Amino acid sequence: MNRSRTLTWIVVSLSILALMLAACAPQAETVGEAEPAAEEAAAAPTEAPAEESEDMSMEPIKIGALAPLSAPGAVVGGEAMREAMLIAAEELNNRGGIMGRPVELIIVDTEGLPERGTAVVERLINQDGVVGIGGGYHSSVGVAAKEVARDNGVPIVFAETWNDTITSVQYDEIFRIAPLSSEVSAVDVKFIQWLRDENGMKLEKVVILTENTDYGIPAAENTTALLDGAGIASVTFSVDIGTQDFAGIIERVKAESPDMIVTLATGEASYNFTQQAADAGIGPQNVPTMCNQVSLVSDAFWTNVPDGNHCFVRRIGLPQQLYNDVAQALVAEYSARTGKDDIESYAMASYDSIMLIAQAIEDSGSTDPSDIIDALENINHMGALGPITFPINRSNTPDQAGVDPKWWHQFPDPAITIVQYQVEGQDATETTVVYPEIYQTGAPIIVGQE
Amino acid sequence: MENAAIFGWALLWILFWGALGGVVTPRIYARKDLEISQASFGGAVIGAALGPLSLVPLWIATPKITSRLIGIAIAIVVGIFIVAFALADPDNLCVANGGFVISQLANGIVIGVIYGLMALGLTLIFSILGVVSFAHGEFYMIGGMVTYFMTAEWIPGVSPIVAILASCVVTFAIGYVFERIFLRPMGSGEIERPTEYAILVTFGLAFFLQYFTQALTSAVPVKAQRFFPFPSLELPGDSGAFLRMTPGNVTIFDAISVPNPRFTAAVLALLMLAALLWFLYRTWVGKALRAVSQDRQAAAVTGINPDSMNTLAFSMGAMLAGLSGASLVQVFSWLPQVGIPAAARSFVIIVLGGMGSLPGAFLGGLIVGLVEAAGTGCIPDATRAAAYIPAYGMVILTLVLLLKPTGLFGREL
Amino acid sequence: MNPTAIYRVSGTVALIILFLIPLASSELGGLGPLVLSSYFMHLAITAFFYAILASSWSLLAGYAGQFSFGHMAFMAIGGYTSGLIGKFIRFTTAPSELCTDLPLFGNWWLVILNIRRVGTIDESCLDMAKAETLPAGTLIVFPPVWASIAMGLVMGAIFGLLVGWLVLRLRSTYLALFTIGFSEILRAAISAEIPITEGQSGLELVPLFPGGIAGFTSTSKIPPYYAMLLLFIFAMALMTWLAGSRFGLFIRAIREDEEAAAALGVNIVRYKVLVFVITSTLAAAAGALQGHYIGIITPNTLIILQMSLVIAMAVIGGLENIYTASVGAIIITFVLELLRTSVSIGPIHIDMTLWRLVFFGILLMLTLRFQRNGLLFPILEKISRGGVAAETVSIRAQSDEELDEELEELSEEDGELSEEVSEPASGTDTNAS
Repeated sequence: MNRSRTLTWIVVSLSILALMLAACAPQAETVGEAEPAAEEAAAAPTEAPAEESEDMSMEPIKIGALAPLSAPGAVVGGEAMREAMLIAAEELNNRGGIMGRPVELIIVDTEGLPERGTAVVERLINQDGVVGIGGGYHSSVGVAAKEVARDNGVPIVFAETWNDTITSVQYDEIFRIAPLSSEVSAVDVKFIQWLRDENGMKLEKVVILTENTDYGIPAAENTTALLDGAGIASVTFSVDIGTQDFAGIIERVKAESPDMIVTLATGEASYNFTQQAADAGIGPQNVPTMCNQVSLVSDAFWTNVPDGNHCFVRRIGLPQQLYNDVAQALVAEYSARTGKDDIESYAMASYDSIMLIAQAIEDSGSTDPSDIIDALENINHMGALGPITFPINRSNTPDQAGVDPKWWHQFPDPAITIVQYQVEGQDATETTVVYPEIYQTGAPIIVGQE
Repeated sequence: MENAAIFGWALLWILFWGALGGVVTPRIYARKDLEISQASFGGAVIGAALGPLSLVPLWIATPKITSRLIGIAIAIVVGIFIVAFALADPDNLCVANGGFVISQLANGIVIGVIYGLMALGLTLIFSILGVVSFAHGEFYMIGGMVTYFMTAEWIPGVSPIVAILASCVVTFAIGYVFERIFLRPMGSGEIERPTEYAILVTFGLAFFLQYFTQALTSAVPVKAQRFFPFPSLELPGDSGAFLRMTPGNVTIFDAISVPNPRFTAAVLALLMLAALLWFLYRTWVGKALRAVSQDRQAAAVTGINPDSMNTLAFSMGAMLAGLSGASLVQVFSWLPQVGIPAAARSFVIIVLGGMGSLPGAFLGGLIVGLVEAAGTGCIPDATRAAAYIPAYGMVILTLVLLLKPTGLFGREL
Repeated sequence: MNPTAIYRVSGTVALIILFLIPLASSELGGLGPLVLSSYFMHLAITAFFYAILASSWSLLAGYAGQFSFGHMAFMAIGGYTSGLIGKFIRFTTAPSELCTDLPLFGNWWLVILNIRRVGTIDESCLDMAKAETLPAGTLIVFPPVWASIAMGLVMGAIFGLLVGWLVLRLRSTYLALFTIGFSEILRAAISAEIPITEGQSGLELVPLFPGGIAGFTSTSKIPPYYAMLLLFIFAMALMTWLAGSRFGLFIRAIREDEEAAAALGVNIVRYKVLVFVITSTLAAAAGALQGHYIGIITPNTLIILQMSLVIAMAVIGGLENIYTASVGAIIITFVLELLRTSVSIGPIHIDMTLWRLVFFGILLMLTLRFQRNGLLFPILEKISRGGVAAETVSIRAQSDEELDEELEELSEEDGELSEEVSEPASGTDTNAS
C-alpha cells in the first residue's frame, strides 16, 4: 500500500509539473526566447546547417501545416504529406531561408476530425504565430478550418481537400491547388463515355460505391448527374467508412449486373470492397472497375487486393515521364527518404503548398498575412505540379470572369489522368496511362466483353 | 418500396399487440398466482404473433408459458414480418430473386459461424469468471496481425497452419499474463465490486493493445493471402452447372456463390469448434472448467483449483478470439481498429444467445450473420442499407436486453 | 487545521484563480510577464468540458454504480439538438407559404425549413420565399442560442429519462452493453442521415455569442471561457449538493446492494432514473455549449475512443469523488495535449502522438489495479487524516452496517418513502443478473 502511494505521488507531481510546463510554454514564446518550447518539438526539426548560422540566427518565419497523423484520419496520406512538407522546409533553409530568415515548419495533426481541425488551426495561428498554412487532407477538416483562417485573416493553401464548397464560399484567405471534386467527377465520366464511344464498350449501367463522407456523397451525386447526362444509368451504394464486410452489398451489386463499377470509397474500405468483389466474381478482372485513388499506393494495393489487376485508377498530376525539373528533384529526394518509387499526388501538392507560401512571402517582402494573400493572388510559381496561378481572385471575380464560384482561388489545371494496372504486381509508376489520349501510353484492357 | 403502408401497418399491429401482451399478461398471471418469470416476454411475443386471436385464449386459459410456445410465437411473428415485407415491396431482390436470397443466406451462415466462434470465447470467459472482456476485439485483431506478419513478413512462405498456431500462442499468452496480474485479485476479495472493475480494466487493456499495435505496425491496412486456394474445377465438365470452382470462389448450382477465403474461414471455425467441444466434454481439464462454471464451491471441494480455471478460461477465450481473427485476416483488410466492430458484434451475440451459454453463442452468431445479411440485402434504399450495417446488431442487442435479458439460452438467475 | 476548512480555502482560491485566468490571456494583453495564448484558453475551455463530463459520469458510475457507456451520446444529443434547431428553425413575421409554417402568438410564425439535397448549394425554401411569397419588411429571426441550448438540455433530459427507465432492470455488464448499443445506433444514424445531420462533415453551429458580448467579438475566447466555467461550477455545485443530500446517500446505497436498499425503503426506480436524468442533462448541456463554441459537431464525438477518454479521466482522477474526477479531467486534457509531440533519443525517433495513448492505457490499468480510488484521492485522504473525522469523504470509510443504520434512520424520518417499499421490491425480482 505504502509503495503504491509513493508511486501515486510521483505520478501526481509529474502531472502537475507537466501542467505548469503547458502553462509556461506560451509565455516563453511571447517573450521571444529562441529556446524551443515543448510543443515546438512537435514541429519538424528544420534547423539549418551550421555553416549558414550567421543569417539564420534571426527569428524564424513560421509556416503551419495540416496533416492527419492519427486515426480516425487517413494516417498513410498524412505521413506522406508530412515527409514532402519536411523536404520543402529543408530545401528552403538550405538555400538560405526566406528573406534571409530561417523557416520553421510546424506540422499539426488534424486526426481527420473537423473539431480537431479548428482547434489546431487556432493553435497554429494564435499560439505559434504562423503567417500561412499549407497541407490539409480531409475535406471535412478543410471546410471547418477555413472559418478559423477567415476569422484570423491568415491564408491557407489547401493541398488535398476536394470539396467544392471550400473555394465556392470565396473567402480571401482560402487557396487551393487540389482538384475540384466536381471536376474530378467530370473526368471520370468523360473517361467512361470515351470507353463507350471510342472503345466500343457496352455501357448502360454503372454501379457507384461511395462512403458516407463529405468527399464521397457529393462526388457520387456529381458522377450520377453527369452519367445521367451521358445517358448512362447508375445506382449508388453508400457505406459507413468503417465497413469491413461487403458480402451483402456485393450480392446486390451483382444483381444489378453493372457494365462498370466506380469506387469512390477511400482507404481500406476500397481495398476490402475490391478484393471481396473479386472473390465473388465481379472484381476488376471480370467487370471494368475504377478503383479508388488509394490504389496507387501499389505495395498496400497488391497486399490487400491481390486480384486487383486491370483496375482503372484516377491519378492526379502529370504522368511521371512529363515531370518538370522541380518534380523530378522532389521525387528523387522523396524516394531516397521513403523508399517509394513515385510520389503521391497529395504529397507533391503539399510540397507545393509550402513552397507557394514561401514564394508569396518573398514576393511581398512581408510576413504580414494580408500582404501574403495579395502576393498569392498574383503569384506565378513554378511548382512540382507545374506553373501555379490563381486567376480567379479579387481583381477578377467569378462574376466578372463569368465562371462558377468554385473556381475562386483555385489552381485551374491540375492534370488528371486515368491509369490502368495491366500486369499483376505492377508498380504504380509503371502503370499504363490510358486516358486522356494526349498522355496515353497504351490502350485500355477492357475485361468482361463478349 | 411500393406499398410502404402495408409494411408500416403490419409493424404497428405487431408492436401494439406485443406491447399490450407484454404489459397485461404478467398482471393476469400474477392475479392467478402463477409463475410470472416468462409472462412478460411470452405475452409480448404471443400478442405480437396473432394479436387478439392469441391473447384472449392466453388470458382465459393461462397455460404455462413454455419455450416451445414462445418459439412458435416468434416463428409466426417473423413469418408475418416477411409476408408483410414481400407484399409491400414485391420487386425487392429479397423477394423476387431466389438466387440472390440463397447467396445472401449462404453468406450470412458462413460469416455467422465465424462470429459464433469469436463469441464463444467471450461466453466462455463469462461463464467461468462472470465478467465480459471488453478487450475481446483486440485479441481478435492481434490474432489476425500475428498471422499476417508470420505468413507475409517474418517467415514468408510458412504454412498458414503454423501462423495460426503462432497467433494462438500469442493471444493465449497475453490473456494469461493479463489474467494473472489484473483479474486474479478479484477472487481474493481484494477488489470491491469486481464486475465493474473487470469492465474498466479490460477496457483499459483494449485501449492499450489497440494503440500499442498501431504504434508498432503503422496504419497501413494489411491482408494475408488466401490460405488454401480452391483448385479450378467444373462439374459436370463442360457447363459447370453443378459446381464451379475458381481459386477465389465456389459456385454451386449456378446460384450459391461463396468466396474462398470465407469458406476456408468457416471450415476452420467449424474444426476449431469441434476441437473445443472435444476439449470441454472429453478431457479432464475441460470437465473441470465446466464444473467450475456450474458450481464454483462444489468444484473446489472436489479438488479443482478455481483460480487456475479462471486463468485458463480467460486465456482460452482470448485465444478463441485470436483464432477467429487469424482465420479472417485473409477475408478482410486488417488494421489496429478492426477489433472494435468485431467486439461489438460479439457482445450482441452473447446477449442474444444468453450470457455464458455455449450453444447460445453459436446460434447467436448464426442469427446475427443472417440479420446483417438480410439488412444489407433487403433494405430498399441502397444508400442507407450499407450505411446502417453497424447498427443492425446493436438493434438486436437493445431489443433483447429490453425484452428478454437472459437471451435464448440464458440461465435464470 | 480542520480538513473542511482546508477544502473551503483551497476551493475558494482555485475558484478565484479560474475566474482571473482570462485577465492573463493575450486578448487582454496579459498579466505582467504571464501571457496566455488563445490556444491555452481553448484548452482550458475543453478541459472544463471534459471535467463536466467526467464528474457527471463519476456521479453516475462512481456514486450510483451505473456503468453507462452512453455518456457521450447524451453529450451529442445536446449538441445536435441545439445545432439542428439553429439549422431548421426560424421565426418570421409572415407565413413563408413554401416551408412548414406554425402560427405563434401575434403575427409571429415558426418556420421549419425543408431538408435540402446533399452536396449542393440549393436554396432553402425560406430563401425562395424571400424572393416570392414573403412581403417586404418581413423580419426573419434566428432562434436565440440560449433557447436552442435549453432545448438541447430538454432533449438530454428526455433521453436520460428514457434510457434510465429502460435500463432499470439491467445491471453492470448488461447496462454497459445496452448503453454501448444505444450510442452506436445513434452514431450510425447521425452518419447515415446526411440530409438532416450533414453526416461525417459535421453540423455547423452558430457561435455561442453570435453578435459578440460585452465588447468581445463572437470569436473571442473569453466569453465562452466564462460560459463553460460557469456551467462547470454550476454542475459541481449541483452535484456536491446532491451527493451530500439524501439523494447521494440513497444512490450509494443502491450501488452497494440494491435489494437491501429497496428493503430499507429507498425508491429504487425514482433514484435510478433521476440520476440518469441529471447526469445526462449535464452532459447535454456541456455538449451544446461545446458545440456552439467549436462551431461544428460530428458523429465522431460518439466513437468509443471519446467515451474511453472520459472514463479514463474519471478513473485516473478518482471515480468515486466528483472533485477528483473533474480535476483528473482537467489535468489529463492538458497532459495529453502536451504529449502531442515527438522525441528523438539518439537515432530512435518516437512519435508521441500514438505512444501517449499507449501509456495512457497502461496508466488506466495500473490505476485500477493498484490505486482504485484514483491517483488524486490519496491527497484528499491525507488532508482528512490530519484533522477530525470529516464528513463521508469516501463511502469506503464506513462499514456497511453503519450505512444501513443511517439509511434506516433516514427512511424512518421520511414516511413517504416507506410506503413505496413494495413497488421497487417487485421490480427487482426480474433482475437480469
